[in-house]
Amino acid sequence: MTTRLRRVDLRGIVVPAVVVVGAEIAARVTHYHSSSLPWPSEVVTAAGAALIDGSMLRATGQTLLAAFGGLMIGASLGLVFGTVMGLFLIVERLAEVTIEALRPIPSVALIPIALLIFGLGYAMEISLIAKTSFWPVLLLTIAAVRGVKPRLLEVARLLRMGLAARIVKVVIPAALPGIFVGFRIAVGAALVVAVTVEIAANPLGLGYAMMRAQEALRPDLVFAYLFWIGIIGWLINGLLSVAQRRLFGGASRAAPP
Amino acid sequence: MTAPSAEPPLIAFRDIDVAIGGRPILTGINLEIYKGEFLCIVGPSGCGKTTLLRLAAGLLPPGSGTVSYEGKPVAGPQRDVAVVFQDYGDALLPWRTAAGNIALVYETMGTPRAERAERIAAVLARVGLAEHADKYPSQLSGGMQQRLQIARCLAQEPKLLLMDEPFGALDAITRQDLQDQVLKIVADSGTTVCFVTHDLEEAIYLGHRVVAMKPHPGRIAATYDVDLPYPRDQQTTPEQPAFMQLRRTLLEFIRGAET
Amino acid sequence: MMPRRALLLLASAIVAALIVALWQLVSNLHLVSPIFLPPPDRAWAALLFDIDRGGLGGRVLLTLQHMFFGWLLASFGGILIGSAIGISATARAYLAPTLEFFRPLPASALFPVLIAFFGLTENMVLAVIGFGALWPTLLATINGFATVKPRLYEVARLMRLSRRQFILTIALPNAMPEILAGMRLSLTIALILSVTGEILSGSPGLGHWIMLQARSFRTPDLFAGVLLFGLIGYASVQLVSLLEFWLLRWRGR
Repeated sequence: MTTRLRRVDLRGIVVPAVVVVGAEIAARVTHYHSSSLPWPSEVVTAAGAALIDGSMLRATGQTLLAAFGGLMIGASLGLVFGTVMGLFLIVERLAEVTIEALRPIPSVALIPIALLIFGLGYAMEISLIAKTSFWPVLLLTIAAVRGVKPRLLEVARLLRMGLAARIVKVVIPAALPGIFVGFRIAVGAALVVAVTVEIAANPLGLGYAMMRAQEALRPDLVFAYLFWIGIIGWLINGLLSVAQRRLFGGASRAAPP
Repeated sequence: MTAPSAEPPLIAFRDIDVAIGGRPILTGINLEIYKGEFLCIVGPSGCGKTTLLRLAAGLLPPGSGTVSYEGKPVAGPQRDVAVVFQDYGDALLPWRTAAGNIALVYETMGTPRAERAERIAAVLARVGLAEHADKYPSQLSGGMQQRLQIARCLAQEPKLLLMDEPFGALDAITRQDLQDQVLKIVADSGTTVCFVTHDLEEAIYLGHRVVAMKPHPGRIAATYDVDLPYPRDQQTTPEQPAFMQLRRTLLEFIRGAET
Repeated sequence: MMPRRALLLLASAIVAALIVALWQLVSNLHLVSPIFLPPPDRAWAALLFDIDRGGLGGRVLLTLQHMFFGWLLASFGGILIGSAIGISATARAYLAPTLEFFRPLPASALFPVLIAFFGLTENMVLAVIGFGALWPTLLATINGFATVKPRLYEVARLMRLSRRQFILTIALPNAMPEILAGMRLSLTIALILSVTGEILSGSPGLGHWIMLQARSFRTPDLFAGVLLFGLIGYASVQLVSLLEFWLLRWRGR
């Protein structure tokens, strides 16, 4: 099993390696410089420089801080509302129209409203990220809580647990694998919205750094940030998937789309 | 149904050896199936009966020896050799209706569009699915899905029909029903059949000849002629002495093979 | 059963109406500055006025065009490229990991890259949408090809299907559920990228328009625009879901 995975991994590296090396050779042979497509070596140099002078790490910190803040708010609210709606079917039914009306509004369309209320800065970005990460956690929490085995709830009743104890000791632990799937989706969405808001409006973080590099006609730096964002997204996703496997085992391998 | 003739065989296995991953699956297979014959292959699991069928279908090349069909070596699947698999659920196209699944055959054969509808209806009628032409496989019962797969094979107008434990996943009543349908279809069309099963009574009930195989590695242990007249009958055939005699022989053989 | 369901739906509509009424009340009592939260009746009036006199309809149409053509581009590209890669197990082994790396990348990060190529133009917006919304459909197609049941490969061999016939009659239909789910996701991405692209490029679509309303503190109009975005998002996803329901009716119970 492991050897097979190894081999697949290796073959997967061939194509990007050939492209990068080929582009570098072509650039060095032709000596062609374009304002939109950098040499691979220039991208590496730019990334190195931005890492050393701290600007890339600072931008990363800003984006991650905003994403984390929004995620915490959105996911907590999603967890609370999701648990209530999952436990009491009637609440979900009554909220149905409201949810269906609010959910399809794209987060980026709320940028102007967030700008009006909060101005530029962390607050507006965090509010939009919170809005985005709220929905997947809400929906998957509802589904997960509803999926808790009735037998477990009966046991809790027989033990004469109060509502709070029932929720904290039985419902949430039993629903946790499902909730975590929602959380993973929310994390991915949080990163996407953070970068998008920064590119579209907010002078913070990786998205803004990319836009500034573009305006300064530094395609090498633009690509350096592009790959950096890719690596960060990939790392976070990898960490979460390891955490998911560690915490909940093979039974909850269902990865978010 | 015509009795097997002494003409050259429709399909012939000569000194077949097959090994998969270094493990011998079949060894020293010599077998001939004649035109118009209904041949049943029985044996315990692991005796390579499915592998034998796949060789005949051209899905698997033999390690050594030759499989010849109509006197020529088999190099790959043939249009006039059809296979009925046991797992009908996986072998049908779930996104096509019953009629659509049959149409697949005519599309690949390049049958003129104008003829297709009529021929599809005729084939579905032969297996008793005429009223279900517009249903999707998910809307059909297991027995009906298997009938649909058989219908798709019939649409190929096969000279040789290979059946791999086709009724193994069905309940007893449905199974008997389908056995009789297959016998009737074969009697009407004169198709040659090679039928793999692990059910001894099924093999005797259906076949002209029963080939018994042994495992580790798979080989042919004995061949029995079934001395029972067609048409056969679910009520009376199993009560005949020849049936009971052969059943006892095969049962003893299987017990012997497993120990 | 059914009347109970309808009753609950009505009740939940009433809840939504009560929320709007509460919003109206809060605004009327000036509990929140109308600059941040305009009363719903004024937002509604602004919506009607802007459609009637302000040419809002044309802007919506332009945004829909961005979104729809970008999505179409992404879907066709995704299915074509996905089929080309998916049909060969070797191509899958070499390319799939690279493609998977790009999947979690925020599509909006393509803006700075493609602005350098196209400038702040309509084509840039279309290119970003086409490229950014490509991934879900592309990966779904590849995966759909990879999950064709071995038995169906055998059936195809027995029927001697050509490669083209195999793609059209077996591989693509087999991938269809995943492709459609990918296309649904891709449509949402296309809408997000349309808005972002319009904000960035100043293209006269709805995205740029709501930004202008915010800058001039015309909050009722801003809310009207956001409402329209909600409507677009809802309607487009519903349409694809309908398409999905119809195309996948074979899946049965």
